[in-house]
Formats: sequence, structure tokens, C-alpha cells
Amino acid sequence: MSDVTGSSSTPRGAPHPPSPNAPSPDDRLGPLLQRVAGRDRQAFVELYEATSGKLYGTVLRILKDRARTDDVMQEVYVAIWRKAAQFDVGRASPMTWLVTIARHRAIDDLRRRPAAPQETEEALEHAASGEPGARERLERDQEARRLHACLDELEAIRRDMVRLAYLEGWSRAELAAHFEQPVNTVKTWLHRALKQLKGCLAS
Amino acid sequence: MTERDDTDMLAAEYVLGTLEADERAAVERRRQDDPELDARILAWEARLAPLGDEIEAVTPGPDLLARIERRIEALESEAPTPPERPRTAQLAALHRRLRFWRWSTGLASAAALALAVVLVAPLGQEPSRPPFVAVFQQNDQQPAFMLSVDLASRQLHVRPVTAEPLPDKSYQLWIKEASLGPSPRSVGVLDDDLTLDAASLQDYDPELLKRATFGISIEPPGGSPTGQPTGPAIHGYLYPTVREGTSQRL
Repeated sequence: MSDVTGSSSTPRGAPHPPSPNAPSPDDRLGPLLQRVAGRDRQAFVELYEATSGKLYGTVLRILKDRARTDDVMQEVYVAIWRKAAQFDVGRASPMTWLVTIARHRAIDDLRRRPAAPQETEEALEHAASGEPGARERLERDQEARRLHACLDELEAIRRDMVRLAYLEGWSRAELAAHFEQPVNTVKTWLHRALKQLKGCLAS
Repeated sequence: MTERDDTDMLAAEYVLGTLEADERAAVERRRQDDPELDARILAWEARLAPLGDEIEAVTPGPDLLARIERRIEALESEAPTPPERPRTAQLAALHRRLRFWRWSTGLASAAALALAVVLVAPLGQEPSRPPFVAVFQQNDQQPAFMLSVDLASRQLHVRPVTAEPLPDKSYQLWIKEASLGPSPRSVGVLDDDLTLDAASLQDYDPELLKRATFGISIEPPGGSPTGQPTGPAIHGYLYPTVREGTSQRL
């Protein structure tokens, strides 16, 4: 993707800022969302400016097509406008909430209209490791560090499945085709991987 | 494999994104009426969210914001927006707010009270100005108190439903909202007949009141000696008694 910007300007928000000296941009998002809930258009523009890069990157990674991504992004921000009042800081970090809306809209769109055959090797490479720079940034974030430590405990093939599904939007059937396994086997592996992750994160 | 396991795996796969379109649609429908599923989905969203950290931001085209704003313009000019979610989902949101309050104030041990809050919207007749109502409920059967607020005049009305005066105890009403700081603030101590001065919320902004969580706690006679809730508390959150679209412009 040639249009990927050099670095993420909107790291995912965590409940706690990564360091006391660098307050997360997420701190602004909660209050912005509250203002959007009150139909504040200026706040909406600010929210868009603070988050559209991350959300666009999330949707584009799943849909691999800018025109489709533009369409879905419109739905995403209209949904944010309509649902802002439902955002509850007690249930999610603002950025997680926003990314969740974008991911689900993108996956719904992908399921309705599957993309052209994906370049699987490239996707896998993309999904399997993560760029070192990106990974390094994550190290500040304790939650991310824990999740990645737990992912590292999974068998490699299951880890790849989790990442391809989450980041690229692959369905069970697509995973089954790529890994040359029956769909039911993929389902079993996914469930084992998810249970293992949950157990690891809870320990 | 228990039913709970199945629900958890359904939530996990929904969040992971591996379900097919029909399964996804079924989950989205079911979560509206199934707080358990909804809670598990939220837990999985939180668990897996760091996976998205590595996604690089991509700057959208310069005209995308204008396109979105035109869509919103059109939406806003339409007649009353239909409610975004059915009431059961609002209930789930209510439960979450409840947990947030309890967790963040360290109130009311879980054993102290079985907590539930329900929205009892219908008031019988259509009021001229739709009030907002919060219901404070101690169990699944009947509400203990009902709080209604007319946001325009900021008049408050507390009505005990099944709650009764307790010997040597007072009930105290609290308000909590992010802009007021992390701790609940006292609205007032209920009289012996379990009512409260109608002007008690006079100083609060109506928008804040809509976002706030309310709590009623059981305190020593005359109210909390510490300025913070000390006894078991029950909570509620204001909901419009008419559909959101028509009331939100209050």
C-alpha cells in the first residue's frame, strides 16, 4: 500500500496513558465523544481529524480498496454521530469503541461482497509479524505487551489465523482454504486459540 | 462444552471477525436482548483491541469529511430520528453504567444488595414536557424509588415505590458524572417521608443531568458523615420517557 503514511498519528488508546509525560490522544476523545453526543458539529470535526487516519487504515486493511473504504468510512462516521450517546467510558476506551465500529462495518461489507482473491502471501507476511516499528511502539502499552506475549504462546499456525482474521477480516472459510484444512478444523483451532488467549490474559 | 462456553466462543469469533454474514447478523440481533452475550462481546473487544495497534493510519482523501457531513446534514434534517437501539439494549447499557459506578466508587459490596435497574417509561398519560425518569430497583421485582426530572425547569421529583423509611437510617441521593470529578456528589438527604426538595438539581446543566448516573444510598440518620456514600447504594440513570429523537433537543 503506497499511500500508507509513515507513522500512526493515532495510537490506540489504552485506559491508562502510556507514560505520564505523554498523555494519550485518547484522553481527548472521551470528552469529544460526549460533545458529539450533544450534537456538537465542531466536536465531530475534531473527532474526525483525530481518528480518521486510524479508522481509514483499519477499514482499508480489510477491504484493500480505497473506493470501498470511502463508502464504508461514511457509514462509520454516520454511525459514530448517531451512536455517540451510547459510548460509555465504563465499558471501553474511546479508541477501542471507534475502531470496533469501523472494523465491524468493514467486515460486514467484506462478507456481503468478498474482495478479489487476496494476495495471501503478502497478507500473511503483513499480518504475521507486524512492522518492527509498530511493535516497538506497542511495548509502551502494558495491555498490548500482555496480548502479544500470549499470542506468542500460541502455535504459529493458530497465531497466524487469529491475526489474519482480526486484521485482514478473513472468514473461517477463507482461513480453511488458505491453510488447506476443513472449516470445522479451523473452527476448532480458532476456539482453542481464543480460549488459550483468554486463559493466558487472565493469569 | 457448556452453554456459557458456546456463548463466549460466539462472542469471541464475532469480535475476531471469522463468522459468516448470516451468523454475524444473528449475533447482532441476539445481543440486543442478551446482556450476557453483549458483555462477553465487549470483553473480547477489549481483549483483542491491542491487535489493532499495529495498523498504520492512512490519511483519507480530502473530500471524505465533506461527504460525511452532507450525510449527517441530511440525517439531521429528517423528521425525528428513530431510536438507535431497542430498550433492552439501553438496559444493558444501564447495567454497565451501574457496574462503572460501583466499581469506581468502591461502594456496596456485591453481597449487600442484588442490584438491578429497570426503565419504567410509560407514565400513563403524555406529559406536556417529557420528563426524564430513572428507576432505582433493589431486585428484579419492583422498583424501590423512581426519580423524574424535568430538564427544562430542572425540577426533580423522587417517589418511593416500594422503599420504606428505615429506622435510624436515611436515604441519600447522589449524582456522578465525569465533569464533576471521580466521586459522587450529594444531591440531598431524603426527608422522613422519602421526598426531596424539587429544586435540588437547580444548579446542574441539563446536558450533564442526561449523562449522569444517580445513586441512592442508605446512610446514618441525617446523611453520610463523610460526604461520600458509605452504605449500600442503588443506582439509576435518566432516560427520556419518550423516544430519543423527539426529546434530545430539549
